[in-house]
Amino acid sequence: MSTPDQSKGDRSRDEVLAGEYVLGVLNGTERQKVDARLRHDWQFAAMVRRWEENLTQFNDDYAEVTPPDQLLSKIEDRLFASPATAAAVKGSLWNSLVLWRGLSFASIAALGLVFGLDYAEQIRPKPEAALTADLAGEDRAIALHARYDGTSGRLSVTPVASGGAEKQSLELWLVEGEQAPVSLGVLPQTGQGEIDVPEDLRARLTKGVVLAVSLEPFGGSPTGAATGPVIALGEVRP
Amino acid sequence: MERDDIGGLLARVSLRDRNAFSLLYRGVSAKLFAICIRMLKDRGEAEEALQDVFVKIWHKAGSYTGDGANAYPWLCAIVRYHCIDRLRARRPQGEDIEAAVDIADLAPDPEQNAVLRSEGGRIDTCLEALDPDRALAVRQAYVEGLSYQELADHFAVPLNTMRTWLRRSLLKLRECMDEHA
Repeated sequence: MSTPDQSKGDRSRDEVLAGEYVLGVLNGTERQKVDARLRHDWQFAAMVRRWEENLTQFNDDYAEVTPPDQLLSKIEDRLFASPATAAAVKGSLWNSLVLWRGLSFASIAALGLVFGLDYAEQIRPKPEAALTADLAGEDRAIALHARYDGTSGRLSVTPVASGGAEKQSLELWLVEGEQAPVSLGVLPQTGQGEIDVPEDLRARLTKGVVLAVSLEPFGGSPTGAATGPVIALGEVRP
Repeated sequence: MERDDIGGLLARVSLRDRNAFSLLYRGVSAKLFAICIRMLKDRGEAEEALQDVFVKIWHKAGSYTGDGANAYPWLCAIVRYHCIDRLRARRPQGEDIEAAVDIADLAPDPEQNAVLRSEGGRIDTCLEALDPDRALAVRQAYVEGLSYQELADHFAVPLNTMRTWLRRSLLKLRECMDEHA
């Protein structure tokens, strides 16, 4: 039987455990148990996050020590040693500076929204077979909610707010890992946008890929690759 | 590097932007390396740890969720946890963490369902409310990555006493920070 007193006691124990985890005093086995719990218990995870932020001032106790010169290249070797990967990234316009202008703010906002969704999903039953992504833009010029119905292949994109981008178009891109973005089409200028995802792309629109919106010349990118600044992006998740 | 920039770089790293990765490395590696050295007390292992950590950052950047302000604590947490895992693997200890300790109940959580926010400035005030010894134990546990046993040895008290100290200190800190929320 759970009484209010017991639940208070549980919270105390959890707060202490979360604090112990962040301090690092737990032994190896206990840490592993907490790591496992963090993957499914979002309330407990929030306690840990709060301790991390509460105690972040302690990080000021660490000085700075420049690592040896060759360390970055060792890390890059470990990550990018495969020639295939290197070629894919090199050939990708995704790395162009123009493309990334103004991105950071948008991406932070997008990630923030996804974070919010994470929480909401814990308490709300979600429709089956639908993938959603929330995409938020710089200076709130545009924010979109994208919903993909895997059965019909319909991807609906609802602008939540929109600033006028006159004589320009918003183009939606599918980004898989390190590959160059693939166009899913140009969004209608006003109202709710729906795009028929080309048959050959449907299998690729799945959990974990990123949807991005770039600002392109009216009618869409003239080259088939993203040319304008990315104004919003978000990861697709169930 | 401005701490606000880190969130933007992480977002770009999550999209496999190598320039951003290299900028992030240049911006934070000295700090993260210092954490490895301080915790592991071995420069060679610290170099290995730093490599592992940046490999993790490359793969996990997409799981960073926040508004940018907490990107720096997020990175520090990744490094510290990696070092702590190394330390605990290095010196396995059979502590029974569930040993009975008298824990007082917290008042109902005033921040339940509230948006998490940065509370960094409050910790010093709340630490001052603890006995100096106990505040130091909390800080050393964090900064050095000391286990309960190491803390007990350091402060020359029995293991269970240290456990009680630290758990009560954590509850007091939690209460103090809730009150000032």
